[in-house]
Amino acid sequence: MGFPLLTSLLLCPTLALLVILATPPARAGFVRWTSLVSSAVALVLSALLWARYDAGAGGLQFTELVPWLPDVGITWHMAVDGYGVALLMLNSLVYFAGVLTMWDLAERVKEYFAFMILLVIGVYGVFMTQDLFLLFFFYEIAVVPMYPLILVWGSTRKEYAAMKLMLFLLAGSALLFPALLAIYHEAGLGTFSLVELAAHTFDRDFQLFVYPFVYIGFGVLAGMFPFHGWSPTGHVAAPSAVSMLHAGVLMKLGAFGVLAVGVRLLPEGAVYWAPLFAGFAAVGVVYGAFVALKQTDFKFVIGFSSVSHMGVVLLGLNLGVMGVAAADAFNGAVFQMFAHGIMTALFFSTVGFIYDRAHSKTIADFGGLGSQMPRAVSIFIVAGLCGAGLPGLASFWPEMLVFLAAMKTMPLVGVCVIAGLVLTALYVLRVFETAFFGPPNPRWKDLPDLRGWELLPRGLLVAVLLFFGFYPRAMLDLIGSTTQLLAAGF
Amino acid sequence: MDPTAITLATTFVPFLAFAVALLFFMRQPVVAKAIVLAGGLVSVAGSLVLLAGGPREPVRFLWFSSGDVTLHFGFIYDGLSLAFGAVVALITLCIQTYSVGYMAKDPAQTRFFAMLGLFGWAMLSFVYAVDLLQSFIFWELVGLASFFLIGFWYEKPAAAAAAKKAFIMTRVGDVGLFIGILIILNTVGMFDIPGLLDPETGLRAQVSPGMLTLVMVLVFVGIMGKSAQFPLHTWLPDAMQGPTPVSALLHSATMVAAGVYLFARLNPLFMASEATLLTVLCISTVTALLSSTIAMVERDIKKVLAYSSISQLGFMLMALAAGGFFAGVFHLITHALFKALLFLCAGSYIHHCDSMEIEEIGRRGGRKMRWTTAGLLIGGGALAGIPPLAGFWSKEEIFAALSHNGAMVFVAAAFLAALLTAYYTFRMIFLILLPASEEHHGDAHGHGHDSPAVMLGPMMLLAAGAVLAGFGGGWLARLLDVEREHHTLLAMLPAIGVVALGIAWAWWDFGRRSAARTGLVARVRPLHTLFVNKWYIDAFYAAVVARLTDLLASFFHTVENKGLDDGFDGAARGFVESGWLTARLQSGWVQSYAGTAVVMFALFGIYLGLR
Repeated sequence: MGFPLLTSLLLCPTLALLVILATPPARAGFVRWTSLVSSAVALVLSALLWARYDAGAGGLQFTELVPWLPDVGITWHMAVDGYGVALLMLNSLVYFAGVLTMWDLAERVKEYFAFMILLVIGVYGVFMTQDLFLLFFFYEIAVVPMYPLILVWGSTRKEYAAMKLMLFLLAGSALLFPALLAIYHEAGLGTFSLVELAAHTFDRDFQLFVYPFVYIGFGVLAGMFPFHGWSPTGHVAAPSAVSMLHAGVLMKLGAFGVLAVGVRLLPEGAVYWAPLFAGFAAVGVVYGAFVALKQTDFKFVIGFSSVSHMGVVLLGLNLGVMGVAAADAFNGAVFQMFAHGIMTALFFSTVGFIYDRAHSKTIADFGGLGSQMPRAVSIFIVAGLCGAGLPGLASFWPEMLVFLAAMKTMPLVGVCVIAGLVLTALYVLRVFETAFFGPPNPRWKDLPDLRGWELLPRGLLVAVLLFFGFYPRAMLDLIGSTTQLLAAGF
Repeated sequence: MDPTAITLATTFVPFLAFAVALLFFMRQPVVAKAIVLAGGLVSVAGSLVLLAGGPREPVRFLWFSSGDVTLHFGFIYDGLSLAFGAVVALITLCIQTYSVGYMAKDPAQTRFFAMLGLFGWAMLSFVYAVDLLQSFIFWELVGLASFFLIGFWYEKPAAAAAAKKAFIMTRVGDVGLFIGILIILNTVGMFDIPGLLDPETGLRAQVSPGMLTLVMVLVFVGIMGKSAQFPLHTWLPDAMQGPTPVSALLHSATMVAAGVYLFARLNPLFMASEATLLTVLCISTVTALLSSTIAMVERDIKKVLAYSSISQLGFMLMALAAGGFFAGVFHLITHALFKALLFLCAGSYIHHCDSMEIEEIGRRGGRKMRWTTAGLLIGGGALAGIPPLAGFWSKEEIFAALSHNGAMVFVAAAFLAALLTAYYTFRMIFLILLPASEEHHGDAHGHGHDSPAVMLGPMMLLAAGAVLAGFGGGWLARLLDVEREHHTLLAMLPAIGVVALGIAWAWWDFGRRSAARTGLVARVRPLHTLFVNKWYIDAFYAAVVARLTDLLASFFHTVENKGLDDGFDGAARGFVESGWLTARLQSGWVQSYAGTAVVMFALFGIYLGLR
């Protein structure tokens, strides 16, 4: 066992959390810097993982195995495949950009960063663990801090949003927890190790019965139609960086969970249910776009666009399971998780900036903002175009791969979701036209634009979108071997 | 030098110019202009070197592979890409140079020039692309650049709306194209254009005729959006909201040309599908006629030119669909030259006369701008098809191709469209040259002052092209490697006659001293209303398509709010209420507790007794 990179990556925010907890609340500057340093180190570690991961060999790497509670079969088992590496990188990028986005926060700084880092820790844990118990444990760690984060630092019906989010997600967990225990008992191996459980073949009837619990349980967090209601409300109410983490990373936990637990342990169940769930996902793609068209609040538009884009992820997963174009569909789904994560982080980071200055996120309040905040608007436009699936930005590739698989597997569904591209362009351009173009509104003439270091987090995310837009190989080479292994099973 | 390196320089240097100008020289427009012009110059040089090198084998690099998709990035060097690439680079540079004068006073010049760089990059990359998906990517980016340039003056609501409309309408077409491309990949397993065209192993050999028709019709839907064919043409006239040099670029060698170019690129595949060809022929014929009629009554000089573009694009597609590959490509190139010229002339008039109304330009002494007027005459003559200007030769090829194809109705339609073209072009020319009355106060307008040399230079260059390009037909045919038939003077007579008739008609209506200057159409009220309202196509879109979308969106919005959200809230409230209901049992009244206990014991006793 070499240097425990994964545990180090997990420890990095954990240490920061402990330091922050020990810091007196008055020393806000120290709290900020601690968070920033920890996120920067985490970013470097993730980059290291990416560079060191042997994509040619594929499979689980960087394995760390320490028995923890041997009596019930819980092990500190950390290892990642190509998907894990990509998603850890996503989390690090959003974490780093998120800390910088909230740099100017003035209210309860210590508590805010403590909760935010707790959330980040949970996400890291889920992406790297190979133990079912730990996975669920970290999953809950990631989900629970959302409640105080929205309740205390949020806006726009925050009590309602926080409660709604919590109820939905806990309902998801309520489906999930019995399902996971059932898997543990049914296998009868006395272990929570995902690797060992994956090697066990579950009874077909068991798989058919349990899979929907797992899929819907995780799917709620992935914004699965029709259980997506918590997500736009939550996006809107949360403070910027929490929206970034929430839409950028947290929703990916759901999709990742479906892959890591549902598809991996219960393949036959997944195959059985795939056509139905693919149908729901496709409806989600078009439905989200239509609803986004009618929103009057920036953040609601992005919230429903997330429902639509996460629909692409879920569609990809289900199409992959159906096996006709499995590799393309899985590649597309995972790539889309990453691309959508970066894109929404960019969206919320920029909208947060505008909101903090203007104290409004009603689209119609603005107009001609392009001449008052050219940089912020340009960056928002980049994110918007990425959302519209424009080539040259990261989202184009995964969408293309998923659409390709859809055309091959379910042509009618494929045509519908591709036609949805027009709607996507429509709701994005509608925001541009109303808020950014047109005669400038004198009310906003004193708004400051992004400057100096404020450009750093947004610039970083834009660069990532462009990089993967022009060089998709960087991603596809990383996740390709994992996909091959996975696709071989279907 | 390595042709790959040259192509990379030709295509990507404009992109670098765009990025550098936008990122570092936002406040130094002079530097930004210099950079973009230098980029344009590199493109011209590179494309000319490539052209001089002649056709050669394509090059490909692996871009990525995923599952069964393998995507290459590469360049194709056949006569088509070489010839058209050079035309694109040249015209782009001309327009960039002209813009130095035209946009001199605009405060956001850097952004303008940067976007021109972006446009050049996207279009040139599209032209040289060897892979169908690569083509599609740059095709979309051409659309993006158009979006930014049409909406350049974004503070004008009309410009913002026009930009959005252009993007959305072409997007509608692109959905068709995208589906078509994905079907191609799913059936043949590759995007490589030379591979797809191969008669032995390509698309034709691998799919059924019905499938081929489906795919090619889908591809054509994309072309309809991009090349503004009926019924997806209405974005193009609105796109006039952009600065005039943008219109010149959009209408000549880029954007709308992309659609026709894609058709030519995939020509053998289209040729293999009779049903598609007939569809294309019908749509392009309708487009050519319909847009000509609107141009006959349009008062705005840029809009007349816009509708003439639509009509000429229809011409090109008619030729291509009739099997006249050479004719279509030839007209694409000559049209690019003279239409760019016409728009630059229009810009020059607008710059000086401060009006877009044709009659107003005439009234304010537009004709006294000698160089511009000369350009207008040459460009207009070429558009109308006066021999020996460029447009005459390429149109002549189109007539020939159509008559070979057989169906007389299309030949007749083409002649009619040509007649109308000559009529509306000379209507415009006569209204400017022979105005009914003229203003004589001050010397703010006209009076012999013409545009600066930096604007006139490119115009003269394009004018030379519009005069001479017609004689390059033989050379182009050799480059494209096609047979070109010999045209006798006798065969050309109908074409000449039609043009003469159109001009004479225009002169009767607008030219002669006692002309009413209203035109024939204006005297036929219903027709006039129909044409002025652009055949009510936009009205239809607003009334039906837009409203339908809105209705659907409202429906889903209601489902979300009233259905899902309220349902959730109701369920949550139900839980809370049921909690209150059970809580009421805890009333604190000993009597009620005792009563409950008695009832329960009694029930339990009955249960035991019955067991």
